[in-house]
Amino acid sequence: MSDNPSFVLKGVLDVEIQQKPVPEIDRNEVLVEVKKTGICGSDVHFLVHGRIGDFVVEKPMVLGHEAAGVVSKVGSSVTNVKVGDRVAMEPGATCRKCEACKEGRYQLCPDVIFAATPPTDGTLARYYRLPSDLAYPLPPNLSLEDGAMMEPLSVAVHAVSKLGALRSNQSVAVFGCGPVGLLCMAVAKALGASRVIAVDIVPSRLEFAKAYAATDVFLPPPMEKDESRVAFSIRNAQAMKEKLGIADRGPQAIDLVLDASGAEVSIQTGIRIVKSGGTFVQVGMGNPNVNIDMFVVICKELVIKGSFRYGPGDYPLAIALATSGKVDVKPLVSHRFPFTQAREAFETTRNGKSPDGKGVIKAIISGPDVDINEA
Amino acid sequence: MSGNPSFVLEGILDATFQQMPVPEIDANEVLVEVKKTGICGTDVHFLVHGHVGDFIVEKPMVLGHESAGIVAKVGPGVTNVKVGDRVAMEPAANAKLAKRICPDLVCAATPPTDGTLSRYYRLPSDLAYPLPPNLSLVHAVSKLGALQSNQSVAVFGCGPVGLLCMAVAKALGASRVIAVDVVPDRLEFAKAYAATDTFLPSFMDKDESGKLGITEHGPRAIDLVLDASGAKVAIQTGIRIAKSGGTFVQVGIGNRDITIDMFSVLCKELVLRGSLRYGPGDYPLPIALVASGKVDVKSLVSHRFPFVQACEAFEVTRNGKSPDGKGVIKVVISGPDVDINEI
Repeated sequence: MSDNPSFVLKGVLDVEIQQKPVPEIDRNEVLVEVKKTGICGSDVHFLVHGRIGDFVVEKPMVLGHEAAGVVSKVGSSVTNVKVGDRVAMEPGATCRKCEACKEGRYQLCPDVIFAATPPTDGTLARYYRLPSDLAYPLPPNLSLEDGAMMEPLSVAVHAVSKLGALRSNQSVAVFGCGPVGLLCMAVAKALGASRVIAVDIVPSRLEFAKAYAATDVFLPPPMEKDESRVAFSIRNAQAMKEKLGIADRGPQAIDLVLDASGAEVSIQTGIRIVKSGGTFVQVGMGNPNVNIDMFVVICKELVIKGSFRYGPGDYPLAIALATSGKVDVKPLVSHRFPFTQAREAFETTRNGKSPDGKGVIKAIISGPDVDINEA
Repeated sequence: MSGNPSFVLEGILDATFQQMPVPEIDANEVLVEVKKTGICGTDVHFLVHGHVGDFIVEKPMVLGHESAGIVAKVGPGVTNVKVGDRVAMEPAANAKLAKRICPDLVCAATPPTDGTLSRYYRLPSDLAYPLPPNLSLVHAVSKLGALQSNQSVAVFGCGPVGLLCMAVAKALGASRVIAVDVVPDRLEFAKAYAATDTFLPSFMDKDESGKLGITEHGPRAIDLVLDASGAKVAIQTGIRIAKSGGTFVQVGIGNRDITIDMFSVLCKELVLRGSLRYGPGDYPLPIALVASGKVDVKSLVSHRFPFVQACEAFEVTRNGKSPDGKGVIKVVISGPDVDINEI
């Protein structure tokens, strides 16, 4: 195909399918015909707000970054993939030369070229160009939809395995049962966690988590009228400890807590239930200003880590976990849309459910002229 | 010497001298005749508020925990020190090996355990270190901050803890030690003492970092930030100036509820660590640093009081300066019948 229909964000809540030039590739790059793109909360945020923090959409930008496709063209130096290969696409091309890249933390590269982070166009197009080492061949037992799910799975791998340093038989609690939270639970389970506790305020999400990867679930009590968030988090943490038999130390303590909700009360509660000397990983993005009880952080000598995207080894581990069946990403695909209905796909994701009332976990948009049922 | 005169906190702003029984020691303990005790902010906080966080004074408690003295008696199982040795006293005893966050920690002057402002104090022999120390700062900088030679450090708060953090950072080979405080005198002292640069904030602005040539990546980035102030704005600023992938260590205890920019923490993949007291290896290292002259603690002792003036000592610490206007860094109270100039 010589055309490149693309789903473009022109401004706040203003999207359009437009033709864009087919990218040229360098000798170390590949051109991928994108087959499936999952929608992330950040894509929706750009659509609705036109920015995330200091990343501002200043000119029209193609959305989407959680993708998989088929290699359409390879540069002259490419050796790891060939035309026709089905690949998962890691969407962040880094400089390879700065301190962050060289010390093994390329996710912190200041010059990263990341799909659908301004000003870089994303993957909701027919074609996407990327360095060949960021195209990972998919084994026969993983579909292209699975391939697209490797991106959020890598986020979970980075948070749980890399930063959380989870070891077998440790216990984990995850706040927020959206796709990232659920995948964190799945990774924790796959890595041998003795206990995976899911927390969410929406009962149906908790039910899903229980069936999917959690060993226990907790539904926080409602906040009381005029109750401050701090007071609520103290009460909430107490209730959680009592109901689930959680202690600050010893075998009933929680080694690792992840927040995948971005909600202040979750973060405040999480800090209280993690064990003395434990680790708290912040992966969910919410309100930037979060009030935390620093006294608890000091007295328990907590380690709080911010988790951003993924780094060396995370994509390969994610693919390995999925390939071996230790993590099953299929149940998380709740909605499928053809490329021509990309706008509706975003609408549904934003609403949290489709018109038929089905709750959204992950909505996937197929590439131009790709059947939604094509695996 | 007879008796065990002690400085006892009875209740809020109510501290008196009382005789307490001389402690009996176990086979693996020593009895130390306490000669010098420094006053810490937490001691003052217990005096003024009756609690520090969840640690509440429920019955009378002897104050003080930053001490050194002379071994007066040793248990039969003790081999590392003998009667007459001058020792630094690590005031937190616990049954197991993993210190400081052990739940059964018995810590001097943390309720309900009596502190060191007495004639005698009893402690496990392995917590009596021949010669003088400096405490929790090594823990924060060296252990938790994992400072490596040639890294750069910023310390918020130029009280004794902050100053000592700077001294340790310098001793461990930091390329740059930036001191931040809102009081110009304290900054001046820091500059003369251990800091390479100082910064006096005028108002909260993201551009502050530009003045010191600080960047988020590269050679001018700040590897390690420590907060020794407990102040919200210091913590917030510290999080902003730490480099991408950097570490922030919270040593200072201040207001409990601190609003932080979690977006910054996330996008920079910061590591925030709480620092509590000290742990394995943290006492021996500072003793070595001081003994070798790499860290000077003498200049931090700003005021000296005899035991009988313990009340005044606390008053001066609380005021932040003595009646003659001299600013407090560290106030040291001598033991009962010990001359303030006896070293």
